[in-house]
Amino acid sequence: MEFQAPAINIAIILPVVIVAGFGLVLMILDMLMEDELRGLGPWISLGGLVLAGLQTIALWLGGSYETFIPVGGHPMVVVDGYAHFFNMLFIITGILAILMSMPYLIKADIDEKAEYYMLLMFSISGMMLMGMANDLLLIFIGLELLSIPLYVMCGIARPREASEESAMKYFLLGAFASGFLVFGLALLYGATGSTALPVVVENFTAGGVIAYTGLAMQLVGLAFKVGAVPFHMWTPDVYEGAPTAVTAFMSVGAKVGGFAAMIRILAEAVPQESAPIWTTAIAIIAAATLILGNVVAISQTNIKRMLAYSSIAHGGYILMAVAALPFSGDAVSASLTYMLTYMFTNLGAFAVIMMVEKSGNRGVLLEDYKGLSKRNLGMALILAYFMFSLIGMPLTGGFIGKFVVFQAAIDANLIWLTIIGVVTAAVSAYYYLRVVFYMFMFDGQGDLEFSPAMMTATTVALVATLAIGFFPGLWLNLARTASLASQLLMAGG
Amino acid sequence: MANHHTSSNRLWILGLIPLAFAAYFFLQLEGVASGQFLQFSIPWVPDLNVNFSIYIDGLSLLMSLLVLGIGGLILIYASGYMAGNAKIGRFFFILIFFMIAMLGVVVSDNIFLLFIFWELTSISSFLLIGFSHESEKSQKSAQQALIVTGLGGLALMAGLIMLGYIGGSWELSELLAQGQFLDGHPAFPAVITLIFLGAFTKSAQFPFHFWLPNAMAAPTPVSAYLHSATMVKAGVYLLARLYPIFGGSDTWFFTLVIIGGITGMLGGWLAWQQKDLKRIMAYTTISALGILVFLLGVGQKIGTEAAVLFLFVHSLYKGALFMIAGSVDHETGTRDVTILGGLRGKMPLTMVAVTLATLSMAGVPPLVGFVGKEVIYEATVENVDYRVWLTAVAFVMNFFNVAAAAAILYMPFIRSQPADTQLELDHTHEAPWTMWIGPLSLGILATLSFFFVGSELFSGQLIQGATEAVYGKPAEIKLYALPPALTIVPILSIFTIVGGIIFFAVQGRLIKAARAADAAVSRFGPESGYFAGFDGLLAGAASITLFVQNGKLRRYVLYVVVSFILFVGLPLFLNFGALSWRLSPPPLLYELIVSAVIILATLMVTFARSRLAAVAALGVVGYGIAILFLYFNAPDLAMTQFSVETFTVILFVLVLYRLPAFKAITSPAGRLRDVIIAVLAGGFMAMLVLLVTAVPQSQHVIDYYAQSSYPLAKGQNVVNVILVDFRGFDTLVEISVLGVAAVGVYALIRRGVIRGLSRGERGES
Repeated sequence: MEFQAPAINIAIILPVVIVAGFGLVLMILDMLMEDELRGLGPWISLGGLVLAGLQTIALWLGGSYETFIPVGGHPMVVVDGYAHFFNMLFIITGILAILMSMPYLIKADIDEKAEYYMLLMFSISGMMLMGMANDLLLIFIGLELLSIPLYVMCGIARPREASEESAMKYFLLGAFASGFLVFGLALLYGATGSTALPVVVENFTAGGVIAYTGLAMQLVGLAFKVGAVPFHMWTPDVYEGAPTAVTAFMSVGAKVGGFAAMIRILAEAVPQESAPIWTTAIAIIAAATLILGNVVAISQTNIKRMLAYSSIAHGGYILMAVAALPFSGDAVSASLTYMLTYMFTNLGAFAVIMMVEKSGNRGVLLEDYKGLSKRNLGMALILAYFMFSLIGMPLTGGFIGKFVVFQAAIDANLIWLTIIGVVTAAVSAYYYLRVVFYMFMFDGQGDLEFSPAMMTATTVALVATLAIGFFPGLWLNLARTASLASQLLMAGG
Repeated sequence: MANHHTSSNRLWILGLIPLAFAAYFFLQLEGVASGQFLQFSIPWVPDLNVNFSIYIDGLSLLMSLLVLGIGGLILIYASGYMAGNAKIGRFFFILIFFMIAMLGVVVSDNIFLLFIFWELTSISSFLLIGFSHESEKSQKSAQQALIVTGLGGLALMAGLIMLGYIGGSWELSELLAQGQFLDGHPAFPAVITLIFLGAFTKSAQFPFHFWLPNAMAAPTPVSAYLHSATMVKAGVYLLARLYPIFGGSDTWFFTLVIIGGITGMLGGWLAWQQKDLKRIMAYTTISALGILVFLLGVGQKIGTEAAVLFLFVHSLYKGALFMIAGSVDHETGTRDVTILGGLRGKMPLTMVAVTLATLSMAGVPPLVGFVGKEVIYEATVENVDYRVWLTAVAFVMNFFNVAAAAAILYMPFIRSQPADTQLELDHTHEAPWTMWIGPLSLGILATLSFFFVGSELFSGQLIQGATEAVYGKPAEIKLYALPPALTIVPILSIFTIVGGIIFFAVQGRLIKAARAADAAVSRFGPESGYFAGFDGLLAGAASITLFVQNGKLRRYVLYVVVSFILFVGLPLFLNFGALSWRLSPPPLLYELIVSAVIILATLMVTFARSRLAAVAALGVVGYGIAILFLYFNAPDLAMTQFSVETFTVILFVLVLYRLPAFKAITSPAGRLRDVIIAVLAGGFMAMLVLLVTAVPQSQHVIDYYAQSSYPLAKGQNVVNVILVDFRGFDTLVEISVLGVAAVGVYALIRRGVIRGLSRGERGES
């Protein structure tokens, strides 16, 4: 038997290879470098992310979708417009998170520089795999790669108890969720004879009840990661306890990663005839998520906790689009648009929050926002704008996101869900505006701590949210092309 | 308070800009009235059909004139009223911001554009009500106004989007051109309800009227401009705008006539009992808004004409009156009418303005208010079916307005100051020019109407143009400053004025009883409902949080398991009959014994009193499974399981050393619940395993490797061949992964050593 080198299309997985590779480099440097040089960690990671971003853009501009192993079999990795879109999302999330982490780690007295950024890079590479995976196994690996570094990052502020507690809770519940995912994977494999999405979809109907159960367990595992009710319980405790920079990173990255895989599975691994069953389930979960997230957020007094519930609620809006998936041609692009706006708005809001925060996890109560407009009008206006965007007020990115999601839901005839969406959005206005209210209607003291990196992150997020709000056409097109590519893929099997 | 208009700011110049724009719009009047509407459109988000499109017909033009004209006067007024206030720059900024937003509302053609401007007016209103946010009251009021109007705005948005969906366009002008296309459509009730909600909240209609009097916490220029002349008219404007689509339907007629009628009468009833000058005006504003809605409900040519005319008339006199209330407050330091008096000599120019404005409000000829009142009665009298009812309601509404007008004029100005008050008014003098110029111009405009009401420019172009835009059909309009003939209508007017004045004369005797009655009723009123709903929401949120989010990990796990059973287990169980089972070959005795040991050990884990015992029992479970592997011819798996199990137990023991002993933290009932849930979950998993084993396994891969390993790779050991030949590349990568892992482990150990060292050094030094 002669040696057969497999035909591998390395270029298309280069972005994720670069990100993971830079993580490895950091790990080795961390071991070899002197303490002073370890401060280079964030810059090295930024370099890696920029490189990966450039490669993604080059691939994207290159056009057609490609697979890791171009001929024969069922490729584990598919790099289409959908994957490019998510890769860019994760890379941008990573860049912004690093910019925010640099000053934050110093402020919060966390001395794990290179280690922290290494974990961040690994987590990003996991997220990227979630968007590219064409195989249930790879989705599971991506999910673990995404999660395990996050467990550690949550606890990185040790010996602060809240941080340790959050890491422990996240880890235990997360491991539990992974169990569901693997069990579901096993059941799907048993029912369909494969873990490759294109084969799963072919044999799904023949797999009968076992296939459905497997799918349900996969969804439970993913619902956990995206914080959908009733699998959301970890979110507030973990978001509150974790260092704020980590909270910001995972409120976007982990959630979007979970959705990337969930949408891929539901769009490609599940046949159309099963749609009525699973869409009903998703719609109910979406409704519960919207209601619980938005209502409970009202009674929060800690802004990180409030944003935790808010992020649960935003997951609910994305789930609305997911529930519309088989019935509306715009559902995928709607969910992509929503995640794009959510990413910029939420990261921007967290950036301002980190500037208000004081060392030792103080300065995170709503009370601490009293009179912010007097202390720094600019920051108060920026945070107010992010709050408006989270509500979904016109002329913000958030409006565009909500609009397309509602449109997709109406298209799919999910009128009742749309009504719940609109009403809960109205409820959400209460707690977001309360922040604005505190900033502009009271007096208070305390300085903000600025740093160039944090300001850069804030500016990027603000400009992007404004750009989406005022000129949504470009971004909508982007999301539409990204989703079209995956639909082509679906048609091609 | 009395003398702080010292700083000579020139902000009043800003007021000239909107006035110039108003003049420009005025010049467009003739063209617009003859049907040459101003419009332009630039695409904004073509994908969503959102265009920046402007459409100005007669109605939009009339509204724009009010927004700009009164806006200019208000800016001039505010430069005097707010003089010396440190935040005056911010105040002007928000006020101008509002003006632009309000102008946007009345000229927008695109539904989304309209909605954006609509919400921007709510936000600027919020900022202005809470402007003097030192007082908790103004914060609360600002919040309340924003919640009520903001929620209404969302309902409106939903209604308009449905309308656009059905009509196939997002441009109002195109929808209006289709006429009553929604009649008989199944979505008609939903669309009209949502739109009504938006309009009623914004225009303070019953039962949403309560936010408006509370909004009087805003500085007076804001009350005059937003909460009387313009913003609260946005709802009325919207109803008028959509008249061609909905007008004439029974839903439209009865809803608007009833809600408008209740609002108009309730506002009037509450107005005369108030002590605060601004609150009197707030309630008469509610009353006037009710009249406008009522008139739009009556509809037809005369109803829409009356609505358009009264909209114009009311903005003139109410804008003036609010400014006057502000001047009184500014010069005397109070707005309490029970202690004010005798201002006629001290503020002569204001006195002239207030006289003209209140006479117009009361509908005394030859002021423009009289013309407005005449047309209202004409509209009710012309309705064939409900003539008596409508006229009676209109009479009550107008009658209270006369009484309120009399109170505004008489109590602070005409009568002498009551002797028994502490208020010192000796040094009170006229307000600065910036503060009387606005009300006086509006008052004079109302008087001069005698000369221009009948003119082609006013009745033929301004009012007729707007009426035609509302009515949707050509409408010839001829107005008279004085009635040309003595019909029932002028007689009604006379009765209204006389009745109102008589009522005012005797109201002092009724006021106590009326207030007591109101207090009794208001406990069940809509505002109590608002607060109850609001508190309920907050309390509900708090209790849900307490229930589902108590921070205890075991509770979270419980929820996850229960939801899992409900979402996944239950549906499966319901399909029980459709499942195929297979339990073959029958279990052997060894297997049964080992299984029994595993089960016993598991039970032991749950009943163990010490951690060590629990860990040991867990170990037994693991070993039992390993033995089962052995039975099933998988020695490699069994070996792995043995070593992992051993290792885990050792690790556990090492960690347990540092942990506290078990504590009883659950109640017996809680334990019972846990047992039930655990049994359900375990049973479900067992069922799944049985199900999966019933599926025939694919032999394809196994056969391939078994058959090809010798012919292709010359190897007898299939596992070895797979590792080094068939999947050689994978093995290579796996080895490098192991290498990387080793590096990681080394890094961790090294860091740990370094840290230990440095800690040790620090400890020693």
